[in-house]
Parts: sequence; structure tokens; C-alpha cells
Amino acid sequence: MPVRLRLMSMRTACLAGAAAMVLTAAACSSSSTSTPSGNGSGAASSTSSPTSAPLKSGGSITVLESSGYSGAWTTLDPPNNKEGAATQDFMTAIYGQLFELGTGGAIVPDLATGYSFSPDGKTLTINLRQGVTFTDGTPFNAQAVYTNWMRDLGTVGISNGFNSPWPIAELPAPKTAPPGTAEPPAAGVVQVTGPYTIVLHFTAPDGAAVDQLFDNIETWIASPAALQKEGASFGQSPVGAGPFVMASNVPNSELVVKKNPGYWQTGYPLLNQITFKTVGSDEAAYEALLANEGQVYENMSTNQVITESQAHFTVENNLGTSPYDLQLNTAVPPFNNPKAREALYAATNFAPILQHLFGGRGQTTEGFTGPGGICYEQTVPGYQGYDPTLAKQLIQQTGLNKVTIQLGTISIQTAQDSMQALATEWESLGLHVKQSYWPLSGLIAAFEANGGKSWQAMVQTAGAYDPATGVGVLFRFGSHSPFSGVHDPKLDTLLSEAAGSTNLSTRCGFYNQAEAFIAKNYYGPFFFNFSPPNVAVHGVSGPGITSPLASVAVVPTIPWEDVYYNPSSS
Amino acid sequence: MALVQQIQLQREAGARNRARRLTGSPALRVAGRRLLAIIPVLIGVTFLTFSIMSVLPNDTAQAILGLNATPSAVAALNHTLGLDQPFWQRYWHWLTNVLHGNFGSTVQGASVNHELAVHVPTTLGLLLYALVVSVLLAIIVATLAARRPNGIMDRLSLAVSMLGLSTAPYAFAFLLIIVFAVKLSWFPVLSGPVTGPGSFFKNLTLPACSIGFGLFAIYTRLLRADLVEQMQREDYIVTAKAKGVPPWRVLTRHALRNSTFNLITVIGLNLGGLVGAAAIIETIFQVQGIGNDLLTGISNHDAPLVQGITLVFALVTVAGNLLADLAYAVLDPRIRYGSSSS
Repeated sequence: MPVRLRLMSMRTACLAGAAAMVLTAAACSSSSTSTPSGNGSGAASSTSSPTSAPLKSGGSITVLESSGYSGAWTTLDPPNNKEGAATQDFMTAIYGQLFELGTGGAIVPDLATGYSFSPDGKTLTINLRQGVTFTDGTPFNAQAVYTNWMRDLGTVGISNGFNSPWPIAELPAPKTAPPGTAEPPAAGVVQVTGPYTIVLHFTAPDGAAVDQLFDNIETWIASPAALQKEGASFGQSPVGAGPFVMASNVPNSELVVKKNPGYWQTGYPLLNQITFKTVGSDEAAYEALLANEGQVYENMSTNQVITESQAHFTVENNLGTSPYDLQLNTAVPPFNNPKAREALYAATNFAPILQHLFGGRGQTTEGFTGPGGICYEQTVPGYQGYDPTLAKQLIQQTGLNKVTIQLGTISIQTAQDSMQALATEWESLGLHVKQSYWPLSGLIAAFEANGGKSWQAMVQTAGAYDPATGVGVLFRFGSHSPFSGVHDPKLDTLLSEAAGSTNLSTRCGFYNQAEAFIAKNYYGPFFFNFSPPNVAVHGVSGPGITSPLASVAVVPTIPWEDVYYNPSSS
Repeated sequence: MALVQQIQLQREAGARNRARRLTGSPALRVAGRRLLAIIPVLIGVTFLTFSIMSVLPNDTAQAILGLNATPSAVAALNHTLGLDQPFWQRYWHWLTNVLHGNFGSTVQGASVNHELAVHVPTTLGLLLYALVVSVLLAIIVATLAARRPNGIMDRLSLAVSMLGLSTAPYAFAFLLIIVFAVKLSWFPVLSGPVTGPGSFFKNLTLPACSIGFGLFAIYTRLLRADLVEQMQREDYIVTAKAKGVPPWRVLTRHALRNSTFNLITVIGLNLGGLVGAAAIIETIFQVQGIGNDLLTGISNHDAPLVQGITLVFALVTVAGNLLADLAYAVLDPRIRYGSSSS
């Protein structure tokens, strides 16, 4: 339903732009998209992005990136770029992508034109765009993708800690290697079957295989000739087939990219130049936008600054896909008791917290799917909602009021605020809570301490655009994950079947069953979907800036070739 | 021939005396002692930093790869980074490399030497700018204030100093940004690269003011109090006044010189504290200095980067204190370090 609404709004935007028909028509036909695959294959179809200002070609903008996340980079060579997903803006501008995650959650062909699964779901064939060249003039083709994937999945990627996003056969590990050590792909896993066709063979059906490209290094294809020519310095002067060409690069500080004159999409990119500049905080970014030292700031997360920004700038709340949830450790008391878990469900009311702490941005949710992702359902059948009377009864009945609940989270402001508010809410119902927060490494240690039996409750996020990707649902609710408090074979089966099918409606059926199963067993209440908004000065338009985009996990990837700046309309 | 030999002997004797005088100089002796003392201090600093980075509940590879990295991926990256070696082995390896001028690589693979070479001058320039301006302004304001205790200038300086003492540098930074960058557009919010004097003042003035305001407040209060005390209690001031030296001249020529000692001591002690200020202010203004790098390094658990930067800051602090000690001798030749007759 939300997807349909967004498609309608896109159509409306195009019709409303009839007065500027020529320009708008260009916008409406510039991006080719396909809807999320319902039958295991995808092909190009035409749609558009809604815009708020008349389309204008040319000009330049400065995009501010947070030093704590997207503004920190060292190398832009995909398998050496350990900050890969965080630096998606730079990577996508320079390399483009095989597929884009477009407006409305659509899979948009970019350097690939389509894909298809074999009937058993164990083979994926990707067709590549013909006639594309890298910015060094060498051809983009299946051999180039093969060369890149051998680096990504092979020793270069492995030495940097990257794992294959797909279930593939690996070369036999040396006898001395510790168990679980990643190895390069076995012969025949990746095959070039034509000049523009590449095939992947899996060890198990993988319906999420294309979605697993998003935010992963395998979607960024570098020029093999440049890789060979530049060697170790490639990461400082990368060469791709994306909409922009690198002009200058000061790691962790400033990256300037200029329009790629040979870009495959005629008339694009719209901007002549983008300067990505690192900024230290939301407040500094806000002041820089006010001083017109920047035109776009991505992923603003400080609520007060977001509210201030709404008075001066365009604030686009993108579509969340990774809801905050409460993980309960069902292996140890008190939450090995289903009634104690039910008590927390009944004691938790996230609507006022969302309103007061996050200005009502985002949506409360009852499952691990989000409005930007596939299989979204906001309400889950059988979900125990807020009921303070029931909560008090259950708290008394289970003796939960006689213990101190150990509640923890990562030391990120949004998570800490959520945890604090939640603890306050619970304490008003007679619960005692001890709060802890750690940096990522401390959080991992807390999960793993005492064989995973020390922690009781954690405020976390679960899910992604596709629940089978990234920090997906198996990661939080699967029996084999060290970061899960649930060990239920029935849930494992549901989630595996969902990931294994190539049919979207079948997958969604399993995921929705899994959500209901989690609700029925009180495995963990869900809070809300929140994606940090992008903030831009008036006149800057494009997907993710003036129209919502889906986040892969935390933030969306902006297709910079579609972004333009029309200062006269601001 | 004998005369030539005699002249030669005299010359050699003169050279020996000059060398003896030079090596016997108290300032040089103290400099030599302090330079020797630097070695254990620096080793201690590196050891402490290394130990702290090691005992922190962290895993560098996990921090880089994120929560969903598999244990094998974490192990592979730890191996690549050499983090799977024992503590002493890592420390010794790092220390011997540093002694050979190699600070190692950041966890992202960049050369720490390069990071330091590019960013140290900017940070030193920023700190020097903040220090010089705050000291000069403090001397002027404190002298004016001490001229007439409880006068208008004194009260005004008290108010400004209290503001400086009670305002956190990061809060003052945003005030400066709003006024001078957003409203007046005199300076940028986000600093660009420093390539010459013009860009130095354009990019570093607001950061330097943010750091320097608090220092100015401390120095002003300290110097003003010392000047007032000198002017009211010291015999040499009474003598000077009795000799008919104008009060303004007594203040600037006699009292100020003596009061500068305390100021120098405080400046020396403040150098270490400037490190923290630089880290915060550089992040706000996005100054490409090592303070900014330090915060990034800490959040990434990047031990080589943090150790390299800490070593540089330790060197600056020790060198600053050494300079302060030497400045005493320059200001007052009666001071003889380490001499019983001093």
C-alpha cells in the first residue's frame, strides 16, 4: 500500500509539472526502474522522481558528511574500503551501481539491466548494460565485473574482513586455518557466460541475492585497467563508470567529483560538480548550511537541530527499514519466562516516546519490517500492545518488580535516549532498571560475556530493506547468532524459508508469519522506524532530498546523477 | 715560530674557555638535563597510551567491520593489522619502528607519518595563534586593569574574564560561528586547507579565538592580581615611585616584568590542556589538524594513530615547559638553575 501511494505521488508530481512539460518530461523519463521482483526477475520500466523545483542542468553543490560516519574515508578502492557502506555517496558517484534502490523501494537497473533466477533459486544471471565505458575509456563488461568480484570475494576482500554476501562454495581451507575462516570462491562460482552476462552459483537458494548487492562492495565496479595501472594508489584516484569522475581527494576531509562527460545516461548527471566535505557535528553542519557553505547535509540525527532546520531548509524524512526493538535473552531469567516477556510488551508504549523525543518522525511498528523495505506490515496479528493494567498484573505475578532488569544499548544518542525513556516508562509501573551503554566493541563483549548468558535486555535495531540482508532479522532472532536472545528452531525455519525463496509474495508470507510468531511468543517488542533525515537548502532537488528513499539499513543511497540545484527557485 | 706557537696555544686556550663557558651555562645545563629527562617521560607516555588502548574493552577489527562481521572476518583483519600478537611484542615492534622514524599505519592503512606531517603544522599553528593572541591581549587588558584597581577597566575586564572562564570553548565556538560566519560572513564555518598566511588567518581565526578566549580569561585574572600585588606591596615599587618614576612606567617596566614569571609558569602548565581544546575545536570547525585525528583515532580504536599523536603532544608539552624554564633565565639573569648560590 505505501509503495502504491508513493508511485501515485510520483505520477502526480509529473502531471503537476505539466506547465514545465519539457523539463519535467525529461525528469520523468530519465530514470528507468523496475518494481521489487515478485517473480524472481527484474527488468527496466520507466518511472520518475518527484521534484520540488524546476529541473536545471549544471551548477555545483557541496554535500556535508558527518565525520563520525560518512565523512571518514581512507581509500575508495572497493575491497580495501572498510568504511564501504558509510562511504556509499562517494562510491556511488564514482562507480555507479549495478542496481539502485530507488524511490518507492524499487530495484532500479543502473549498470546492470536486469536479472533472473533459476527455478531452484541457486543460480542468478545478471545482464549488464552494453556500450558503457569506464572513465579511462576501457569497456565495462562481464569480464570487468568478474575481475572485481574475484578481488572482492577473494584474498583482497577477505584480508579486509569482507565476507561474501551470498551463499557460495569456497576453496578448501588450509589445514592450519581456524574454523570458519573465509576462503576465496571455488572455481565456477562466478561465470562469465557472455560479453555482458555474468552468472552466480549458490550453494542454497538465495532470493535476496540482488538485494544483498545494496551497500555491499560487490555493487561498485572499478576499471580493471586502472586497477592494474595504478596498483596501490588506485584507492586515492579511483576510476569507475559512474556519473562523476574524481577531481581531487583529501581523505577524511574533502572529495571533489566532476561530471562524467561520457556517462551512459544521456543528459545526466545534472550537476557539474559535487564537493563532499566532512563536518564535525549536526550543529556545525546546520550553521554551514545557514552560511551557504554547504547545500546538503545527510543523516541529521539531533532532534533539536532537525526541528530548527525545518524552519530554513528542506528536511526529507526518508523511509526507515530497520526498526528499533527490545531484544530479550530467553535463555536466562527473568526473560526465560514468557509471562515476564509479555509484561514488558504490556509495559511498553513507544508512541509518546516517539512523539516527545523524535518529534513524531518515524512510525511505531510491531515487526522487523519498515515502510521503506519489502514485506512491510505496521501492525502484526496477535501483538500485545501497551496495557498498563495487564502489565502491573504480570509484573506482580512474575515477580519482575523484585529484580533489577539489566537494560543495555550502544552509545549512540538515539539509542540512549530511547533506552532512558523506556526505563522511565517501566519504572512508573514498578519495575527497576539498570541502564548501561557501550561503544560497539563493548556492546559485542556484553552480548558474548559468559557464553551469551550475562545480558538480559538490549535496545537494538533489527532488519534492513530486505530482512535477509545486513543486520537482518536472523542476526537478532536466529538461533545461531551470538547477538540473538532467541533460540527457536521453528523461527529459524520460517526465516530461512523466507530468505530462500525467489518469489517476493512467498517471502513476505514467511516474514509476516515470522513476525506473528515473534509476537505470539513475546520474543521482543518493536518500537519505531527511524531514518535520519537529509537536510538541503531550498533549490536542491532529487531522490532522498525532496522525495523519500528507502534506507538499505540505516540511511538511503542518493543517486547523485538525478540531483540538481536550481538556486533561483529557492 | 715560537710566537706563532704561542698565539696558537692562546687561541686553543681561548676556544677551550669559550667551550667551558658555553657548557657551563646554567641555561644550557638545565636544557640538557631536561632533554635527557624527556626520554623516560616520552617512553612512559607511549607505554601508558599503548596500555590504555590495549585494555579498553574493544576490538579494533570488530569496530571497523561492524556488528555483523563474522568471527573469521574479525580474526582475518586482526591478523592483517598485527593485532593478534602479544602486547609486549606489539609495543616493542611499535617502539623500535618509531625510533627508526616510522610511526606505522592507521587501521585504515594510511601512513601515520604522513598524517602527522600533513596535520601537525596546522595544529601547532592554531595553538600558537591562540596562545600568542591570548597572552598579548591578557597582558594589555591586565595592565590596564591593574592601573586602577576597581576602576571601570578593571571591572570590565573582570566581567569579560568571568565570561571566558565560565564559557566552554565549544559553546563559544558556536557563538563565534553564528556572529562572524553566518551573520557577518567574515570567516568560514568549515575551515579549508591552510596554504599561506591569508588562508591561515581566514581559516584559523575563529578556532583560535574559541581556544584562546578561556586562556585569555585565566591569564588576565592571574596577571592582574599579580600586578596589583606588586604595585601595592613590593619595596622596589615604592622605591621607584619615591624616585619619581611615573606610575604607568613603574607598572609596565618594573611590575609587569616580575609578574610575567607566574604567567610563564601557567602557560607552560596549560600546554597539556590545549590538546583537549584542540581536539574539540578542530572537530567543530573541521580544521585538518591532529586534534581532529585524535578523536577519529580514539573512536576507531586506532592505536598507531592515537600513539603517534599522543607522542607529538607530549613532545610539544615537554618542549613548552622547557622553553618556559629557559624564559625564566632570560627574564631574570640572577636565576641559576641547580646552583646552591642561586
